[in-house]
Amino acid sequence: MKKILTLLMVFMFTFAPLSAAFASEGGGPDGNKRKGKYTYRKVYKACAAAGNVESATPKISPADKTMAQWKEIFESRNFNEFGCADNWAALSDNDILDIYSYFYHHGSDSPTPATCQ
Amino acid sequence: MDLRYLMKYCLAGIAVAIFFCSFSIVSASTPNNGKEALGRTLAKQAVKKSKRWTTTNHAKAEALNKNFKTGEEITKACLTCHSEAATQFHKTIHWTWLASGDKSDMRYGKAGYSVNNFCISGNAMEDKGCVKCHTSWNKKGDKGEVNCLKCHNSSGFNFDEAFSDIKSFSEDGDSDTDEMVPDIQQDVKNAVSKVAFPTRKNCGECHFKGGGGDGVKHGDLDTSLTKPNRMLDVHMGTDGKNFSCTRCHTTTDHNIAGRIYTNPAVETRKSLIEDDLAPKITCVSCHSDAPHKNDSKMNDHTDVVSCQACHIPKYARVNPTMTWWDWSKAGKLKDGKPYHEDGPFGKPIYKSIKGEFKWEKNIVPEYFWSNGSLTSTTANDVIDPSQIVKVSHPVGDKNDPEARIFPFKIHRGKQPYDKVNKKLLAPMLSGKKGYWTTFDMEDAIKTGNKTLNIPYSGEFDYVETTYAFPITHMVAPKENALNCNECHIRENSRLSNITGLYLPGRDKSTLIDTIGWLSVIGALIGVLLHGIGRFFVRNGKEE
Repeated sequence: MKKILTLLMVFMFTFAPLSAAFASEGGGPDGNKRKGKYTYRKVYKACAAAGNVESATPKISPADKTMAQWKEIFESRNFNEFGCADNWAALSDNDILDIYSYFYHHGSDSPTPATCQ
Repeated sequence: MDLRYLMKYCLAGIAVAIFFCSFSIVSASTPNNGKEALGRTLAKQAVKKSKRWTTTNHAKAEALNKNFKTGEEITKACLTCHSEAATQFHKTIHWTWLASGDKSDMRYGKAGYSVNNFCISGNAMEDKGCVKCHTSWNKKGDKGEVNCLKCHNSSGFNFDEAFSDIKSFSEDGDSDTDEMVPDIQQDVKNAVSKVAFPTRKNCGECHFKGGGGDGVKHGDLDTSLTKPNRMLDVHMGTDGKNFSCTRCHTTTDHNIAGRIYTNPAVETRKSLIEDDLAPKITCVSCHSDAPHKNDSKMNDHTDVVSCQACHIPKYARVNPTMTWWDWSKAGKLKDGKPYHEDGPFGKPIYKSIKGEFKWEKNIVPEYFWSNGSLTSTTANDVIDPSQIVKVSHPVGDKNDPEARIFPFKIHRGKQPYDKVNKKLLAPMLSGKKGYWTTFDMEDAIKTGNKTLNIPYSGEFDYVETTYAFPITHMVAPKENALNCNECHIRENSRLSNITGLYLPGRDKSTLIDTIGWLSVIGALIGVLLHGIGRFFVRNGKEE
């Protein structure tokens, strides 16, 4: 019983800050969205340089989906539709949080929808 | 055969020959033997060369090969060669937002007392939501530096965002973002070098999206004209003449030809044959005032009917345009939060921050006499709130030699007015004290009217208003021009509200009709009696 409680505590202390960061005040992430925009662009520059995509300009923009849709994608960490899987896998949790913040706060139903040009 | 009959046949033959000859003489007087209308031939000559040329490659310009940190630095670089550009530009309406060009006369202009029934007022450039379309850097309005790239850059790059990011990354103390700065500066450098003559996209960024979104304001100007086909606009169609805006909106000292508030685009209609330095802003400039074939009845219309009246049968033919905006419905909340509802065409029909809207497509214009001028009711003019207030309306009547029957979009709506002073109000919309943040119209009006130095009594209500936009773009191919019976018809004539002239087919005068029918019947009776008389009298003689 004691072991289970200890494991539970460890689990809580490990994942609670991460989930808190992903779902902060108002349900939106609070990473550096400005930084996230360039980190996201860098992913595709690197991906294009490696010859895995034709254009260094990302095809998917924050304004392509609603804030709720981006929340679902980033919280499930399912980045398949973005392509460039190797480059996404190399990103740190903070980088992903920044990109998530950029996408969420500029989603199609946000006050400032953004496209990547 | 009797000699008398022979002479009769000869005379009849001569009459028929004269009749047909008269047609061929008329046709022969057309320069191109009647194959093409004179107006088309002249217009083709006026726009023969389609490619503009330059002696400068801006990508090689030393002054532009820098790591810029602000937009103002770019302008300084531009001015090292184009020394007079900013001085010229400061005197234009694109900079002052005043029809007079001078702050001592604030009567007309976005930065003055002018209002509309969309976002209502520019609040003397204090409303930053509006000022994003001003030709300055960082929404500073006429207090800032000219942003040359707003009109002269083809990259589509967001310079304001890039400079804001550079500033933020340079100051945030994060080593990761420090590394990003040179990348952004390189992107800026690449984009700056793409200096170009203004494209449809440059002009359209503001003029297609006036009123806060695509096609909100004009109806004949929206993003469908960024890459239109010939069916949408014969002049701008990329599969046709492919004109940019500046092909007709010609420029002198950065002053761009076109209508300015109450002033018409040109005082008199002149063709380039009369004056080769005249602006190409009117149809007459290139097509002359006799644009159709010489034997065409249409040429008899040009002193009364504008070209646009027949050649733009409908507007908003691709994208919808807003036709109704009711500010009195703004401010409703759902679960304590602002919301919006989309309707037909995927366009909003309600927004808490703005009120209720209606949108339409393929709209038949409304027609008025117009000499090119418009009257405006400003925030400083007294209104009669018991009537629909004409915030903007065409000027002219049939006795005005410059007036023609012209097509218009009339945008209708409800907007706030001062119940005591009886003047239209200018609420501030964006910013911390703006209505879009506070949802307090009373407070927004106080703040907004203060920017214009116009007193507010403290009591407001809503009044119905109209705003007229001349329809002059989206010129359809000639085969789609109006048929005669769209106007010359008793029921549902397009010109049913045009008064002051007798329009055959539409109008009826009992006196004229009675005289006409009496003449016809009289002629028939006369012919009949004459025939009968001759039949009896001659028959008798010949026998």
